[in-house]
Amino acid sequence: MTRATPTTVRPTDLAALRAAVLDSAGPLAVAGAGTAAAWAGDLQHVDTVVDVSGLSGIVVHNPGDMTVAVKAGTPLRDLAAELAGHGQQVSFDAARVARGATVGGLVATADAGPGALVHGTLRDLVIGMTIVLADGTVARTGGHVIKNVSGYDLAKLVHGSYGTLAIVAEVVLRLHPVPAASATVVLDCPLDEAVAHAARVLARPLEPAALEWCSAGSGPATSDGRLLARIEGTAAALPARVERLVDTLGPGAAEADAGEWEAHASTVRGRPGQAVLRIGARPSRIGGIVGALPGADGPGAGVTVGLGTGVATVALPADADAVESAHLAVHAAGGTSVLRDRPAGFGGPAWGPPPSAIAMLRNVKRAFDPDGRLGPGRFAPWPLENSR
Amino acid sequence: MALDDAARAALARAVGVENVVDDPVGRRAYECDGLTGYRVVPDLVVLPRDAAAVAAAVRACAEHRVPFVARGAGTGLSGGALPVADGVVISLSRLKRVLDVDPVDRRAVVEPGVTNLEITAAAAAHGLYYAPDPSSQQVCTIGGNVAENSGGAHCLKYGFTSNHVLAMEVVLPDGSVVTLGGDSAEQAGPDLRGVFLGSEGTLGIATSITVRLLRVPETVRTLLADFPSVAAAGDVVSDIVAAGIVPAAVEMMDTLAIEAAEEAVHAGYTVGVPAALVVELDGPAEECDVQFEQVKAICDRHGCTRLHIAGSGEERAAIWRGRKAAFAAVGRISPDYFVQDGVVPRTRLTEVLARIADMGEQAGLRVANVFHAGDGNLHPLVLYNAAAGETERAERLSGSIAELCVELGGALSGEHGIGTDKACSMPRMFGEEDLATMGRVRAAFDPDGICNPGKVLPTPRLCGERPGKYRPHPLEESGLIDRL
Repeated sequence: MTRATPTTVRPTDLAALRAAVLDSAGPLAVAGAGTAAAWAGDLQHVDTVVDVSGLSGIVVHNPGDMTVAVKAGTPLRDLAAELAGHGQQVSFDAARVARGATVGGLVATADAGPGALVHGTLRDLVIGMTIVLADGTVARTGGHVIKNVSGYDLAKLVHGSYGTLAIVAEVVLRLHPVPAASATVVLDCPLDEAVAHAARVLARPLEPAALEWCSAGSGPATSDGRLLARIEGTAAALPARVERLVDTLGPGAAEADAGEWEAHASTVRGRPGQAVLRIGARPSRIGGIVGALPGADGPGAGVTVGLGTGVATVALPADADAVESAHLAVHAAGGTSVLRDRPAGFGGPAWGPPPSAIAMLRNVKRAFDPDGRLGPGRFAPWPLENSR
Repeated sequence: MALDDAARAALARAVGVENVVDDPVGRRAYECDGLTGYRVVPDLVVLPRDAAAVAAAVRACAEHRVPFVARGAGTGLSGGALPVADGVVISLSRLKRVLDVDPVDRRAVVEPGVTNLEITAAAAAHGLYYAPDPSSQQVCTIGGNVAENSGGAHCLKYGFTSNHVLAMEVVLPDGSVVTLGGDSAEQAGPDLRGVFLGSEGTLGIATSITVRLLRVPETVRTLLADFPSVAAAGDVVSDIVAAGIVPAAVEMMDTLAIEAAEEAVHAGYTVGVPAALVVELDGPAEECDVQFEQVKAICDRHGCTRLHIAGSGEERAAIWRGRKAAFAAVGRISPDYFVQDGVVPRTRLTEVLARIADMGEQAGLRVANVFHAGDGNLHPLVLYNAAAGETERAERLSGSIAELCVELGGALSGEHGIGTDKACSMPRMFGEEDLATMGRVRAAFDPDGICNPGKVLPTPRLCGERPGKYRPHPLEESGLIDRL
């Protein structure tokens, strides 16, 4: 049976977004820049695609309060360029920002980058949000102030919901000053040695802004790579701090240029034809988990490991069985995993076993989207929508 | 309807009969939290000894449709732990074990009855600490901090409870036990942990909590600076922010708060100055030194009349003792007082303080101000004399101050919570659809409405048939946001 091609609507304001939801009846997907369109479960058939890229631009930036409200379809890259003129930034550096990812999409996919070591993920930076539910309800949560405990924080529910609970219309973010100076220190070493180095770095008052290991992309992915550490601060203090960091890491450690982080981001994004897994686990376990994944040590695999955060990205050959056993291995070690980009038609599961709160998640899904309109399939194989 | 015998028996079985308080005198001890104006004596109090007994007690409540209220140390200031008539209080005070401190992964697992400061004490041997530091940290429990998403003076730089809790074992209102969050900050699926944190005990009870621990900063530099006006002190904060400095804390006190604090703890504040700032920087020594000089120069530029730099740990502790004692100290200069908690965008601090002063004058009441100047979180203390019949006037003034914060683009509460106190004010800040959506979350967790009912969201029973008229948010009035 062939199904009709989905109708794409491109609202340019909140009223039109709500109308797009109300004027359609069947299953509906949200699209932004498309940088994570293939992440998580395969989207099942939808009648309508709401393209939020028309909801773009800053609503209000209050430099003195260090807050900004933006429409959800705003590419974070563009927002960053605007804010930089004020010496401010959203302290968030997910790899796909460079590809034009939108603020709403980054929140919905719970993406993050190396800077999460200090600043957390977007869940920690979003202070307010406007969402549209499947029945056209427009709800606001939080506000325009950093500190706020008024009412439930609905933005948290949206974070990581992959478009299945609500459509993000507007996001209010807290900002930080752009660091006056920053430096990167690298040390070539295998992953297991990097884990030991990181433990020493974190035990000392060096306060790295990011601490990662990244495979070199040539040899075996968990043995051929380098540790990357970023230090941020004032121009006057930075050289001494870099020196301490280099001393702590020992022979072979040296300052490098910031281009190292672009190579890291490129590894996180993976290459066409690979199956990219995102993994979160205890920092002390993540090295072992990644090292034991089938295929992770093969040539061509790409690995990055957040040595302080316990968050890793592993680009494996696209083998469905390997991905399934990877999910199970991560789960057995107490971690969680989700499949990101992979070749079209790849049959492996997008998620590992469901969390213990799956029944509650299903209750929330029913409360927000009783007809199961939004993002059908995104959480398969979890039982999120069935057994009504 | 009072608690029936079957429900009482089920609860006694759940926690053990020796852990039930049912005599009137014993129950009365639980009639209120830190917001003492509201009092309800619960029908029954249970004090489970472990997580399994908490789950059993909640299951008993669910089976018998008995409303329950979780309670920690009872230090909350918004009536979040106010008992429900004909309901049960589940006290977590006996779940007070530190289950694990892991210096490698820098985290601790604790039961909800552990105090905030006990976590730091348990971590100190490893050079680690727990960052959120509400003023009541010596007595308030981590379970209560989870419920309220508590902040503290240092949350400007380090964030709130929500940013420091990795995982929780939670008893849901139907008695089932789940884990929210997990081993890393990145979890699969929607952030249920995040929505639970700060839900004020309305979505369930956390029975074990995994918190992040931070390395104790290498250097801490603290100064106390006096200023000829609140506006001058406010300008200092603006300039610190504009210089790209993120202080660990920036606290402001006005003349009345200084007077009270000084009288109570003799911390070395200057009595009579219009405003004092406490600025603290922490981090690597090199950074701290550079930025501390910048902060001192900014203070001088704005007419600082006295700059006291803490020269030792004791002097630093004294400065903080003065600041943290301010609430209770107000009792020295006034027979009664209300503690308010509201937030304005930081750049509107001077304006809001002027408006508060006017409102106080009109009401014929004194208002002392203590606040987290870095993030615009105010704690106006409305002083009154109940014996002189000033209570109602003071309550009205205090409530109007919170609503003024909303009017200026801020929030009803920055850290004390909505609880019972401000549930009926929620329509000042949120529209009907916003509140209804929050209501959907609540119903998803607690379809029978037995988990801390009457808190956070306005109900007709609580607030009258039309719970407070909605006033357009100022951002809405200025055309920055639409209300469809």
